[in-house]
Amino acid sequence: MFAFHVAAAVATEGTKMSRLLSRVRVFALAAAALAGMGLVGAPSAQAQVESGNWISYSPSYTVQQRGCGVANGLTFQLTCSTASGDQRAERRYANYSGSAARQFEGTFRVSSLAGTRISLKQTFNDSEPGPYYMLAVERGGRLYAVEGGATIATGATVGTSVRVNTVHRIGNNHKTYINGSLKYTVSSPGGNFYDKFGAYRTSSGQGPATVVWSGVKFWHL
Amino acid sequence: MTKYRFLLLTVLLSACTAKTDSTAELTAVLDTPLNATISWHDTTPNTAGHAVEFATDPNGEYTTLQFAPVEQTAYQHPDLIPATTFYYRVRPYSGPTAEAREITLPPGELDDATQATDHGWMVPTTVPGSTTTESLRAGGGTPTDFHATIMHANGIRFTWTDHANDEDGYLLEVKAVNTTTFTPVAVMDPNINSTGLITLPTEKTATYRVRAFYWGKTSNTAHVKSGPDPDAG
Repeated sequence: MFAFHVAAAVATEGTKMSRLLSRVRVFALAAAALAGMGLVGAPSAQAQVESGNWISYSPSYTVQQRGCGVANGLTFQLTCSTASGDQRAERRYANYSGSAARQFEGTFRVSSLAGTRISLKQTFNDSEPGPYYMLAVERGGRLYAVEGGATIATGATVGTSVRVNTVHRIGNNHKTYINGSLKYTVSSPGGNFYDKFGAYRTSSGQGPATVVWSGVKFWHL
Repeated sequence: MTKYRFLLLTVLLSACTAKTDSTAELTAVLDTPLNATISWHDTTPNTAGHAVEFATDPNGEYTTLQFAPVEQTAYQHPDLIPATTFYYRVRPYSGPTAEAREITLPPGELDDATQATDHGWMVPTTVPGSTTTESLRAGGGTPTDFHATIMHANGIRFTWTDHANDEDGYLLEVKAVNTTTFTPVAVMDPNINSTGLITLPTEKTATYRVRAFYWGKTSNTAHVKSGPDPDAG
């Protein structure tokens, strides 16, 4: 976007400059249209983290609402305190595999948590049962815990937004960054994986909960 | 220099130095390739603290790292995402607090049976009865009638009377035993006058207060680029 503004600033007269501006405008419109369809990766997008020629893409997804789970855009709610059964409101994204690294970015805000141990983001190995990676919130939103790992954010300020970045190198490792800092690294097997985010009752948790996500982006190398 | 090259140079320079008329001045340095320290100096009178924020895009979206009390003038940002540019800013906030309350909770852990009980009292809500006619920016709007009700061994419900008509929100602040500084633990929307908190194990005895706050002018933006991934081959 910044490069486009610079090109527009200098292209004020002359056929050569007008053609440059036209090509930039057409390129921006075409890329936006195709990226929205999830068919073509856009050029290296702004705000991806780590080094590399990251390509932004928009994987397809389905919305899962079970039990008292309600999804409305990027707002996910568990409206009950039922401590059993399948209670979830999530987006389930398309599978991915292969050697190219995958990156996820999103920001969540727990606007209310009268329950506990609510999963916010999961990565599943589709070749094995259960989540390979899970980020959950507990203790009224003051702690974040990771599947198989220690609590990673003690004393979090309830009601603020939290930024999550994950970088997954299949067959190597999966890293989680919370608010820009590395918090958890786990080795990764090979296989076929998929991402989910929203609000989901873990086996020892319950709602009610309301989680609002924003700024969700995906990239791959 | 041609007119167009001058215009291009002006655009580039303005993108690197985000100016502001705030009195808060911010600097950011890398102490090590993956650890940064953000420092600020602020002469804004009556400041209660600063929200320290970061982004990885020069156009935001900014995320709060910490609500730092006014006594704090630096923040250490550790274990950074490698090879990434981090943009930082601070936003001062001000506003009066209600009278603080010291609470001692009964012994006991946050067990599964307790967590299974109804915790609807935790949800931030607006209870009817407040008369919001005073301006914080004009020196009024102090919250009153701050009450703390022990709900269980690890849970407290707080209520207060909202008098402000121009707050940007409310902060619930806590001061643990043997400390001298109040730290925000929850941020709430404007007009909220009831909320709950699940305490941490270190908060069996602690002092609480609520603050009606409004934002001051955002500081300049400072940025650093973190070093390479140490795990890269």
